[in-house]
Amino acid sequence: MLLKSLADEFRSMVGDEWFLDTPEDLATYSYDGFLPEFRPDAVILPGSTDEISKIMRAANREGINITPRGAGTNICGGSVAKEGGIIITFHRMNKILEIDTENRCAVVQPGVVNADLQKEVARYGLMYPPDPASMFVSTIGGNVALNAGGPRGVKYGVTRDYLLGLEVVLPSGDVIKTGGKTLKNVSGYDLTRLMCGSEGTLGIFTEITVRLVPMPPAKATLQAIFSDLDDAAKTASAIIGSGIVPTTLELMDRVVLDAIGDYGGAQFSKEAQALLLIEVDGEELLVEAQGEKIEKFCKERGAIEAQRASSPEDAEKLWQARRTAFGAVARVRPNCIVEDATVPVKKLPEIIKKIVELADKYQLKIAILAHAGDGNLHPLIMTDLRDKEEMVRIDKALEEMYEAAIAMGGTLSGEHGIGIAKKRFMAMEFSESAIEIMRGIKRVFDPNNILNPGSFI
Amino acid sequence: MIPKSITHEFDQCIKCGLCQATCPVCKELLLEKYTPRGKIQLARFYNQGDLGLSAHYQDIFAKCLLCGACVTTCPSGVDLNKVFINMREEIAEKKGVHHKMEVVVRSLVVNYNISGEDNSDRGEWRDFLKDLPDHMYQKDKAEVVYFVGCVASFFPMVQKIPQSLVRILESAGVDFTILAGDEWCCGFPLIGAGVPEKAREMIEHNLERVIELGAKMVVFSCPSCYRTWKEYYRTDLELFHSTQLIEKLIRDGAIRLGAVNTTVTYHDPCDLGRNGGVYDAPRWILKSIPGLTLLELENNHTQSVCCGGGGNLELADSGLSAALAQKKIEEIQRTGAKTVVTSCQQCIRTIRARAARQEIDLDVWDITELVVQSMSRV
Repeated sequence: MLLKSLADEFRSMVGDEWFLDTPEDLATYSYDGFLPEFRPDAVILPGSTDEISKIMRAANREGINITPRGAGTNICGGSVAKEGGIIITFHRMNKILEIDTENRCAVVQPGVVNADLQKEVARYGLMYPPDPASMFVSTIGGNVALNAGGPRGVKYGVTRDYLLGLEVVLPSGDVIKTGGKTLKNVSGYDLTRLMCGSEGTLGIFTEITVRLVPMPPAKATLQAIFSDLDDAAKTASAIIGSGIVPTTLELMDRVVLDAIGDYGGAQFSKEAQALLLIEVDGEELLVEAQGEKIEKFCKERGAIEAQRASSPEDAEKLWQARRTAFGAVARVRPNCIVEDATVPVKKLPEIIKKIVELADKYQLKIAILAHAGDGNLHPLIMTDLRDKEEMVRIDKALEEMYEAAIAMGGTLSGEHGIGIAKKRFMAMEFSESAIEIMRGIKRVFDPNNILNPGSFI
Repeated sequence: MIPKSITHEFDQCIKCGLCQATCPVCKELLLEKYTPRGKIQLARFYNQGDLGLSAHYQDIFAKCLLCGACVTTCPSGVDLNKVFINMREEIAEKKGVHHKMEVVVRSLVVNYNISGEDNSDRGEWRDFLKDLPDHMYQKDKAEVVYFVGCVASFFPMVQKIPQSLVRILESAGVDFTILAGDEWCCGFPLIGAGVPEKAREMIEHNLERVIELGAKMVVFSCPSCYRTWKEYYRTDLELFHSTQLIEKLIRDGAIRLGAVNTTVTYHDPCDLGRNGGVYDAPRWILKSIPGLTLLELENNHTQSVCCGGGGNLELADSGLSAALAQKKIEEIQRTGAKTVVTSCQQCIRTIRARAARQEIDLDVWDITELVVQSMSRV
């Protein structure tokens, strides 16, 4: 509970209208896309960098925890008030401040929705590549905090690769600027990239400068069906290994295909054990040639079916299965835990085999969806949170899965973040020295540990 | 008590938040409590005993269009609309109807219509018609009943709709009748206000009247009446929206269409499209009109964005309703068309009123008006 005097102080900074503490507001800001819920003491919607600076100064002075939140669609528990305190949300700071076509960059406020930015820059023939599945709802601020990825990551990379600069409010209330509009910048330590993926534990982003690329003129979309999951996984790695850089290379296993079919989506033949959805983009002629090459590639490696979309409508149809995949799988049982283990793409077939093994060993229902092109796996564990015994088995399976992924040279999280979801596995991937350094960095930025405490570090 | 069929729905919600992508209300009001996810979670918190039903809680559930966009977007298949309607019921039961709905509910219970006027005036829209046949479209027996609906009956801005539809039906030789003062509200506003039990009387009455007339089919110009009958009326009667019937009449050659040389866009009303399943009939009609060019809105068919007139929102928060109408108008303007055609009197009222208030140059037509125009050009 906040002292009345403090609540009044915060109210005076943003105005009564933007300081929320009704039971309904506290309840609806107690959750995000992950599972555990924590009721905050208040929710504040600041309208400017200055207001946020004032808020942080007061919070730092009084030792009040502050947790920043975008659209609350993250699935690692990054934006809940794990140790109480206040949620700060950026709904009001949602302007695209500038689209600089000559410098090919844009400056936005943290509350801008990813898809809105993409739509706006497309009008200038430009593209903002990071396309997380949540893009129609998630905000750029949240994307930066989690270093969001997406299917286009295999060719275009992730948020970090497009981040040029930030304006950040530190836990002390001080405001700093990092980076700028230049593509190249080696002055000082790279604070910009350090912030990216820091999960709201080092500072609050109030202005974000992102790089844009020219919108590719054409694309080709293909779907390949395999009678063997291993074939599909090997084909995915081989495509990358051959030097083709697809824009998208998505893999779905039989469990996913069945779920899609069961919920009225596309039906697949009995032999289909895996599906690859592949997209290439670029100049028309090049894209044609690449599409042909990939089709041949798939057929040579065991694809029982390979079809290329002959029109944008066709391409849409091929994407339908991929788009409805998560939803279909999520309906099978009351809850769906989405995991995020990532390995070097060459190890994809191996980690997939491991997951199938673990599902069998621990009697779990797991569907495999993957951004196969960059080795970023999303095992979808269909479960029921009320089944305590199954939760124990899942935990054991996850531990083994992460051990295996890290042993293969991989990581705990490709794009979803650590948050509270994977905090307990950090020691698997990082030595004590590495973790000490991270703790040190955290201490430098946030000596009183008020910003999103209880998160991964 | 929230029934299991409803708690089952909100148990399916995985809090992914993707519903926020298509909810017009949360894009205006921003706060999580006004998002579809927020309302589902509020329902769950109430059910768990973590929250009580405050006036604010009631107000949150009133600020919803019941447009169904979230239902289409939800990857987990949660029937959010069902939960929202049920929560309004739960709240009305425990606290009474939302204070802004009281007048309308009273009008419905006493006068069987939403306008507060005497229900015997329901047929007054006929007063402005020239060459009215002797029976004034009210017969003792007919194949088809045209169920006009409260809004088109009583609100002058949209009386053109029944005036146009009866001309079309007459010209096509359809054996139809209206119920006039015998028509009672279909019940939808009562269901939307959380008092469905009060609609039972209307449902029984309306069904009896239609059956008495020996009719086999009921045609509606109001999508909300149409979907209410489909969902809540137990009947074997054939139910058609006007656009479906008009399409049939054109195909049968009973109506001939002349040229209307203009460019229009079409707005899918929520209760006709998403909630009624009718997307093709109106488009087929538009494409059959010579000289007419149809430009689709950027969000069309299942993705159509509510005009702001749904879910009793006009009553609960007229300012919000108007702000949403503004967004709709801007979407219409982006097509370049100067005319929007739709097939719902509530959409017409909502869009036209906002355009008029903001002095925006935009023609808003109901499809029946357009068909009559086209018929006159033969």
